[in-house]
Amino acid sequence: MVFSSLTFLYYFLPVVLIVYIFLPNRITVPLGGDRHLVIPARNLLILLSGFFFYAWGEPFYVILMLFSTLIDYTAGRFMAKYDDSPAKRRLCLIVSVCMNVGLLAVFKYSDFIIDTVNVIFRSDITNPVILANRAINDVYNFGLSESRVALPIGISFYTFQSMSYTIDLYLRNIKVQKSFIGFTSYVTLFPQIVAGPIVRYEDVAAELDERTVNINKISEGICFFVKGLAKKVLLANNIGIIWTQIKAMDYREISAATAWIGILAFTFQIYFDFSGYSDMAVGLGKMLGFNFPKNFDHPYLSRSVSEFWRRWHITLGTWFREYVYIPLGGNRKGHGKTIRNLLIVWGLTGLWHGASWNFILWGLYFGVLIVIERLGWGNVLKKLPSVVSGLYTFLIVVFGWVLFDTNTLSDAGQFFKAMFGGNGLGDSTAAYYMASNIVIFLLCIFASTDLFGKLAAAFKKKKGKLYAGVTPAVTAAVLLLCTSYLVDATYNPFLYFRF
Amino acid sequence: MKKLKLNISSLINCVVFFSLLITLPVATTLLPKKERSEMENKPLQKMPSISAKTVFNRKYMNDLETYISDHFVGRTSWIRSKTVLETSLGKRERNGIYILKNRLVEHIAEPDYNSIDKSVNAVNKFASENDVPVFFMIVPTSAEIYADELSKNAPNPNQRDVINYVYRSFGKGITTLDVYPVMESNKYQYIYYRTDHHWTTRGAYLAYAAAGKKMGYTPLSEDKYDIEHASDEFQGTFYSKALYDKVENDTIDIWHPTAGENVREVAVTTMYGEEPQLYDSMYFRDYLSVKDKYAAFLGTNAPIVTIKSGNEGGKLLVIKDSYAHCYAPFLTEHYSEITLIDLRYIQISYKQLLNPEDYDQVLFLYNASSFISDTDLRKLAYD
Repeated sequence: MVFSSLTFLYYFLPVVLIVYIFLPNRITVPLGGDRHLVIPARNLLILLSGFFFYAWGEPFYVILMLFSTLIDYTAGRFMAKYDDSPAKRRLCLIVSVCMNVGLLAVFKYSDFIIDTVNVIFRSDITNPVILANRAINDVYNFGLSESRVALPIGISFYTFQSMSYTIDLYLRNIKVQKSFIGFTSYVTLFPQIVAGPIVRYEDVAAELDERTVNINKISEGICFFVKGLAKKVLLANNIGIIWTQIKAMDYREISAATAWIGILAFTFQIYFDFSGYSDMAVGLGKMLGFNFPKNFDHPYLSRSVSEFWRRWHITLGTWFREYVYIPLGGNRKGHGKTIRNLLIVWGLTGLWHGASWNFILWGLYFGVLIVIERLGWGNVLKKLPSVVSGLYTFLIVVFGWVLFDTNTLSDAGQFFKAMFGGNGLGDSTAAYYMASNIVIFLLCIFASTDLFGKLAAAFKKKKGKLYAGVTPAVTAAVLLLCTSYLVDATYNPFLYFRF
Repeated sequence: MKKLKLNISSLINCVVFFSLLITLPVATTLLPKKERSEMENKPLQKMPSISAKTVFNRKYMNDLETYISDHFVGRTSWIRSKTVLETSLGKRERNGIYILKNRLVEHIAEPDYNSIDKSVNAVNKFASENDVPVFFMIVPTSAEIYADELSKNAPNPNQRDVINYVYRSFGKGITTLDVYPVMESNKYQYIYYRTDHHWTTRGAYLAYAAAGKKMGYTPLSEDKYDIEHASDEFQGTFYSKALYDKVENDTIDIWHPTAGENVREVAVTTMYGEEPQLYDSMYFRDYLSVKDKYAAFLGTNAPIVTIKSGNEGGKLLVIKDSYAHCYAPFLTEHYSEITLIDLRYIQISYKQLLNPEDYDQVLFLYNASSFISDTDLRKLAYD
């Protein structure tokens, strides 16, 4: 299920929220005598609704998520049980990490690995997952993919979340979660299960046990949610149409202007798509009493590549910093090791986004640029006027998106050639696309700056009463507008489901 | 005090949010369900039934989501209001339809000449294998004739180029009928529907009159017809796609020869191999009261339709798309029997159905848009 669907918005969400609000955190059932049964009612509802939410989109491979959850929960309990045995604790950690990385290797990277092996050794190996799918289909006719492994929804997110628990437990940053319902509700928490933000266990550990839900929090959550919905449905989907059309053109023929319009459209699409999703998740989290970490902070205003990655998909960057970069020694072991560590992290960041050379190269491209900034270029950028360093960073990011969203490296090469005028500067196609989409482009530019937030804050400060009155009107207006786009959902893909 | 005020605002915000989230689905559930949407010209999703198989292959979920959006309260109003909003923001294309000043036209995809070559080769093969005069007419569509009204630089393939290319590629046995000039020079008359992809009866008449010389008949002049305005509430396929209200509804005209129609029998074969259904008129008036009013001309597309007239003349085979439906009635004046076949609905070789040499002439009649995207003419090359 996706947040921007009528099914979620008008059926799943109201039912879950209303039941949730009226449930207490715990229900104590007396069993006679001194014995009680304590049911963590809200966590149980989160578990069940999250399971339903996930299985709606992934009815078969939901078993992978349950498997992963069970292993990590058990690993956590054993780690606590053998608290004084470093060897056993390490073994628990290794089992958990290997299982999660193994799931990713099999369900996300196996096609890529096998294709590469087949090319190098001229072999003809069929992916075992495909063989298994065929066998299952033969018996049950579930329609599992028989040609390529279909990425189970959200696998990149929930495996990382789950690992954050066992790793932090091993590092003694957190306490063990004894309740199976408590731990499972963390993994299946529906706002974040399929597309992040990557909420680390540490972030919500306290709230899993005790949290409050009140009108102010719910209202704040509604504002976040509605903002995210608007970003996704009104901005990302509409500007995405442009890129879908230009992406399908022959890159050997498109003019520079067309290429730029196309990739700028994608630049905005991916930002509003993903940050809109994160806003919706944060908002839903607040309605349920959780405070998720921020995932985006106006990344296109960054003045260096390092800054961009502190503002873009923040929770992924944090994850790699905490669990890869710092354990590898971070920047504390000399220049050589720092550079090595940075390149490892950025290669992995690229690979996390998808199993193809484009993504690995895309990650390393940022890795190299960040290394260069570390070596002194960053200080130069700081001294440059913000317009120059901002434009520099934006262009670097836009070039990155070409690598990111063209299908092969040769496509990317041809697209770059077109962007630099290899097939002429402008043509009537570009003029048409620009003229018919100028409004949406301007809206996107405006919405990716912090201007809107600043105006709203100033308005709130100066005219508090009016602001308070306007908020519900804006909620209603955006919800109605988005509903009309959802009813007419001719175009409603969620980009970040690929990862 | 200030804190309290903020709380009231929060409360109102929650009330607004939840009342929308509750009333819309409840209204959707309570309202009676329709079986099909006339407006969108499609059957609506039925409530799916649940089983282990449909759950695991996701069909149940997909169908249920379609069901919810198909029956969502006020569905067409939501879609319409979105269209109005978008057009007021300057958007001039919707769902593959360009919105012009007072008409809708189709955004046709760029032609794939490899695919066109396959059609041309098959037609050439057909003409060389069968000893019968073959005529070919490609009718430009409204997107071409009114291209000057499109916004500047809107993608719109040049149909003149496509037609020229195709006509040049035909071999000797094929006589081309170029109706482009006659459509172009009469563009200020009502020759194309504003809300539908077909030509009007007047458009068809002009082409019929222009083709007479090459095909060997003397067309009836316009004053030999009584024109009946059969319906003025036609909202066609373009309308259904764009759901754009600000274009005037179309009028369906039926041209009756003043001397009287001389049609003995119309035989419609909906499934080849089965007995045809027989009618005594080319006009299926029941369709005038439903959405798809163009089907008043010889019904919806069927694989084979045979019209027997009481007039003298030869036998004509028409291989066609739906543009032929309002065109064929004019031809009945000059032929004793006309058989229309629609290759889209025929999965076997034409040779198993009929022998073209049993006919005096063969006419291919396609509009440029359907010719460009056609993948069925190539079946003529199969044995």
